[in-house]
Amino acid sequence: MAESKDFIATIDSNAKRSPRRIAFITRRTSAQVKAETEDQIQTFPEVLFRAAVAVMALAVVLVWIALLFNAPLEGLADPSHTPNPAKAPWYFLGLQEMLHYFPPVVAGVLVPGLVVMALIVIPYFKVNIEADGLFLKDHQKRVRIFYLVVAVLSAFLAWFHVVVALVPTLIMAALMFVASQSSPQSASAFRRYLAARPLSYWVMTWFLFELVILTAVGTLFRGPGWSPVCPWSGFCPWQGL
Amino acid sequence: MAKTVDQYFGDLRGTRVWRSIFRSGTGSSTLKRALAIQQNVFLHLFSTKVRTRMLSFSATWYLGTLTLGTFLILVATGIPLMFYYHPSVPQAYADTKDLEFVVSSGLFLRNLHRWSAHAMVFLVFAHMFKVFYRGAYRPPREFNWVIGVVLLLITLLLSYTGYLLPWDQLAYWAITVGSNIASAVPIMGDKIHFLLLGGNAVNANALLRFYVLHCMILPLSAMFFVAIHFWRIRKDGGLYSHPSEPATVRARANSVPANPMEAQ
Amino acid sequence: MADETRKNDEVNRRQFFMRLGLGSLGIAAAGTAAFAYQYLEPNVLFEPSPVINAGKPDHYPLGSVTIDVNSGIYIIHSEEGFFSLSAVCTHLGCMTAWKPESNQIACPCHGSKFEQNGKKIEGPAPKPLPWKRIWLNDDGDLLVDRSTDVPALARDSFVRV
Repeated sequence: MAESKDFIATIDSNAKRSPRRIAFITRRTSAQVKAETEDQIQTFPEVLFRAAVAVMALAVVLVWIALLFNAPLEGLADPSHTPNPAKAPWYFLGLQEMLHYFPPVVAGVLVPGLVVMALIVIPYFKVNIEADGLFLKDHQKRVRIFYLVVAVLSAFLAWFHVVVALVPTLIMAALMFVASQSSPQSASAFRRYLAARPLSYWVMTWFLFELVILTAVGTLFRGPGWSPVCPWSGFCPWQGL
Repeated sequence: MAKTVDQYFGDLRGTRVWRSIFRSGTGSSTLKRALAIQQNVFLHLFSTKVRTRMLSFSATWYLGTLTLGTFLILVATGIPLMFYYHPSVPQAYADTKDLEFVVSSGLFLRNLHRWSAHAMVFLVFAHMFKVFYRGAYRPPREFNWVIGVVLLLITLLLSYTGYLLPWDQLAYWAITVGSNIASAVPIMGDKIHFLLLGGNAVNANALLRFYVLHCMILPLSAMFFVAIHFWRIRKDGGLYSHPSEPATVRARANSVPANPMEAQ
Repeated sequence: MADETRKNDEVNRRQFFMRLGLGSLGIAAAGTAAFAYQYLEPNVLFEPSPVINAGKPDHYPLGSVTIDVNSGIYIIHSEEGFFSLSAVCTHLGCMTAWKPESNQIACPCHGSKFEQNGKKIEGPAPKPLPWKRIWLNDDGDLLVDRSTDVPALARDSFVRV
């Protein structure tokens, strides 16, 4: 009955600890959960009531806002008169800001297309699954690549005067620099945290940062003719630039 | 007096008619609670039991649930709004004004619909980032992440098509700008633009197409993909319940080298 | 502490909160239903006015029965004066027609027949043709309000010029 197997597995059989799963995964299969032995609770009422409370809280907040603030409604659509500025809905304003610098093929098609593609493929890259700290392996090589990428990207953005995208890039680069100089044995908790961040974290955080800044600029800091304005009255450092 | 009311309800629940409709009955036993989920057509997408860790608020901030909640609010407000809206030019604008000033509760419904739409776009992005930052896309959940991206695109399209419907200056020009971006797609751009608008400009055909997309095609697609999205969560053993990235999980595990199998 | 008889009337905490919760939900549901009903009832209708201007009484000679198919009424000039009937058959809503050769109003759909004063002669129509309120305005025009019924053959149901 016994063919010798080519692995040995042992487990700690202390019944008081929470049970653990052991998965033996052959090559080229995706792990699937077949059975589990953790603490379980009933869906009804635990999960459903919590979900109901969460949704009710959301509904209360939204109803409050709906009672206090009116949805905007301007004059009848007039094809002969374009308002100035003509702004897209807020979630597209990041895109519209980029349209200010780059032609529509790039800002409107290429960049969003690449972003969507990049999002879709995240889970299929081993480097994202393993998620080790970026600079913890091959330190010299990776630091050199990091400097190169930052230099190229910053030069590109500076060449096209995309200040709004350049500033977040430089801030992220500074943080990554600190990460490259840190390790899991660093003194401050913050540097230990940065050192453990994997590549996927840096790319995604850069993307999130850019998204927020570009959308904020497009929403608040762009006025007629897409000129730089400030949403407050008073001194505005970039008005008229 | 109150006891009699309870008695009446008890008798009602014992009748044949009631028991033919509500077959599992109420009760606080494990069996009854499990049956309440398993025998219900809407709820049996859930499993009857879930891992305790999945309840953790800090893990997910319940963002997925909240996104679904906004979607339900949007359907619940959107369908009544359809009763007073004619998707024709320029009647659409007059109808929007009617909803604001003439129809009882019209202003409230429109406001709620609009703000819930903004909230849904925001929550969908937040949900995506939260799922990413806690590593809940790792195998075997890769394809569910892809379905999530599809749902993100559907949400953005729903918001975009709905934006045109009031037919005011804001709507008209926002959609004009957006559809001109579509024509920037190389090779097929102009064809896409033409098909999207049903013409060369944003006019009555465009309004009707966007109306059908917004009220029928996109919501049905959304429900279709949401069903798959939830089903996959179920099949993958429930929510991924670590609040932070795999790196942190492993780092914490590595901090106790004596027993490398002890995961946190 | 409490004796046996009091215990049966007490509401325990679980019951109290159940009732509070379900009661609030009930009130919210009732409120939502009320507002939903109000929402669905239109406050403004984009339909033409029920009041019809039938022109000067001189257009209608004595003994004539004139139908206006667009507004669905008859203007009839009898010896007692002018009066107006609805031209819509009370059976299933078809447009009736005046048959001078038989002195009857006839419905083409299921064969109902009415006298000149609206009374049903034969056919499946359940009720006589209703009389509509008719009066003269300041310009001397005959006006008919299709939304107001008046008693058949009553003195005030006629307009005398």
